[in-house]
Amino acid sequence: MDPVTIDTTKIKSIKRKPVTALEKLEDTGLISTVLAAREREGLILLSTIDQVFNWARLSSLWPVTSGLACCAIEMMGVAMAHHDIARFGMEIFRASPRQADLMFVAGTVTKRMAPRVKQLYEMMPDPKWVIAVGSCASTGGPYHESYSVLKGVDLIIPVDVYIPGCPPRPEAWLYAIIQLREKIKNEGYGAKWGLNK
Amino acid sequence: METDELIINMGPVHPSTHGVLRFKLRMDGEIIKECTPVLGYLHRGTEKLGEMKTYLQFIPYTDRLDYISAMPNNYAFVKAVEELAGIEVPLRAEYIRVITMELNRVVNHLVSIGSLLMDLGAATMIMWGFRERENALQLYEMLCGARMTFNYIKPGGVREDIPEGFIPKLNEFIKDMEKRIEDYEQLINTNEIFMMRMKNIGVISAEDAINYGMTGPTLRGSGVNYDLRKVEPYSIYRDIDFKVCVRRECDSYARYMVRIDEMKECLYILRQVVDTMPEAKIVSNPKYGIAPMTGAPSAVMPYFPRIFTPPAGEVYSRIEAPKGELGFYVVSDGTTKPYRVKIRSPSFCNLTAIPGMVVGLKIPDLIAAFGTIDVVLGDVDR
Amino acid sequence: MNPAEELKQKLPSAVVSIGIQVNKPMAVIKKEELLNAAQKVKEMGFDHLSVITGIDYMDHFEVVYNFFSYAKKQNLALKVITDHEDPEVDSLTSLWKGADWLERETYDLVGIKFIGHPNLVRILLPDGWIGHPLRKDYDMDTEQFVTIGEGGEDIVSTDGSNLLRRK
Repeated sequence: MDPVTIDTTKIKSIKRKPVTALEKLEDTGLISTVLAAREREGLILLSTIDQVFNWARLSSLWPVTSGLACCAIEMMGVAMAHHDIARFGMEIFRASPRQADLMFVAGTVTKRMAPRVKQLYEMMPDPKWVIAVGSCASTGGPYHESYSVLKGVDLIIPVDVYIPGCPPRPEAWLYAIIQLREKIKNEGYGAKWGLNK
Repeated sequence: METDELIINMGPVHPSTHGVLRFKLRMDGEIIKECTPVLGYLHRGTEKLGEMKTYLQFIPYTDRLDYISAMPNNYAFVKAVEELAGIEVPLRAEYIRVITMELNRVVNHLVSIGSLLMDLGAATMIMWGFRERENALQLYEMLCGARMTFNYIKPGGVREDIPEGFIPKLNEFIKDMEKRIEDYEQLINTNEIFMMRMKNIGVISAEDAINYGMTGPTLRGSGVNYDLRKVEPYSIYRDIDFKVCVRRECDSYARYMVRIDEMKECLYILRQVVDTMPEAKIVSNPKYGIAPMTGAPSAVMPYFPRIFTPPAGEVYSRIEAPKGELGFYVVSDGTTKPYRVKIRSPSFCNLTAIPGMVVGLKIPDLIAAFGTIDVVLGDVDR
Repeated sequence: MNPAEELKQKLPSAVVSIGIQVNKPMAVIKKEELLNAAQKVKEMGFDHLSVITGIDYMDHFEVVYNFFSYAKKQNLALKVITDHEDPEVDSLTSLWKGADWLERETYDLVGIKFIGHPNLVRILLPDGWIGHPLRKDYDMDTEQFVTIGEGGEDIVSTDGSNLLRRK
């Protein structure tokens, strides 16, 4: 096989501001992979760093055990043998937020619990994702009129995926997890510039 | 050696507090000197919402009190309303109600025992418990389309008659469960580690249990023969043959054994009810439960208006929920909405006893004792 | 003879009236005599205190106690009427330990003070919550937020800017 050659003179000749997606990527220093991709297409598994990272991240999401209300029982149901989220590499529910990167807000967030939920979220290391489970966590749900319920957890922390239902069926959880994986797949600079196709 | 007391904060997000309960523990070394439960992290204001909703609108909220066993909650509120308004219920509907409630008792005890053992460090039982629970939930799905929050029992009957194929599947479930319970007993009952963790832990005498207002399996584990299904028979429990499961050891192990025995009794009740259930010709074929509410009466749901005004008055009605005595105090002022709804939840009253039970024990013992009390935080905080 | 009549015979000075609360006998007790009456009720064998409720009737409060006797299998309800300005009744914690939390809850949500209670603080809502939610005049429009203080205690305020995300 021929060694992969990179035409460095070509890089130096770029003086203008990067416009196209490829030029932008070249600007970040990831040029070698892209050029190699052009020349050796079909022979080597080629990827961007983003794609590798995202693939690793989405394949081993570790949720924090933060069951709040009714949905937490369904969360246990999802984790058990019948629905088995181990298929998504997330059977390890972490009791410590320091070791987790996904948070299911499973249930009603009351006014008294809200600062604690926020604290839990802030304790999690980046990158981190949040799934708001059920109508209570999404909007307050049936308890929207109550004096002691926060009207949606997105008032205090950013949410990636919402699951409707009261409580959502396990199939809805699995669908939400798949949606979140799709989202993670398309994160990073490469995705922003349309390179992760 | 000089030692200092240490305050340990357990919860509100802790895997073995069954929700968002927090314990403030004052420790002397490893020994608990004082235990103060801090509640209210799931206080959703259900009682206030009861004053803002009509009687029928409030039934879904009762599902979300004790969300592991929602059907008895439904029934407790509906029973209060029926007593208040003097509504009669078709016999077939009462049979269906008892089927759903006893099925829910099995589910509740499965989850309760499963999570107790998971807290003690044995993960097998919760896997098994949820496996069987899933079968029961499929029965519920056939019945009302929901898995956990049913909104199935209505004043005057139940929302829909049982569908075709339900009874054979229920019989299958009962037959299966009888074998499974034997498995559980073989796995757990005489396990040495389990017995060491449970025996003589969380002891509460019958006198104290009564004084604290404990009810349900926790009271029967202390040797008090008290079951509202026997003492004040409601629905069709008067005609059903079953025994009240009582243990006299007063400790965590006794409370666990009461639950295992009760599951067997539930299956016995279910068999009887299925065998003696009265046949009924379904008058209408209600779809999605709307038809009987608005017009055509069926065999299990006579005509019942959407807007419903019981006469003014107040009623306190209690039932034996899986966790203990569940009571609804409903005050009506003759309008479409209750004037006041007070929920006497079993978990709240049973939890009162925890501070007295665990003084002098270690933290792992607190978890064992707390697991056998079997509280659900939606029921405690409401 | 139902237990309410029996109570009236034993304590004629304490019982204002007797009645029926849907198939359960009920006695209305004078506020000052509640502890006496409860003592008597316990002696009569009513060892299970099932529930304590407070009801706001705009011009007065009613505190309702429901008892059950394990030996006799009987029910009895006691009712105490207090004024609306400063609702106070005696605490039953000396007789039933289970009354502790039930009274704290009634204090928390309805705002009835129980004299002689060892630890009468809020139980479900955090300390500092404004108003008692189950009163009919509770302000439902003002939102209250809770934040955590430096010592881990709850701080209640109507300003949620520390908690809410900036949009």
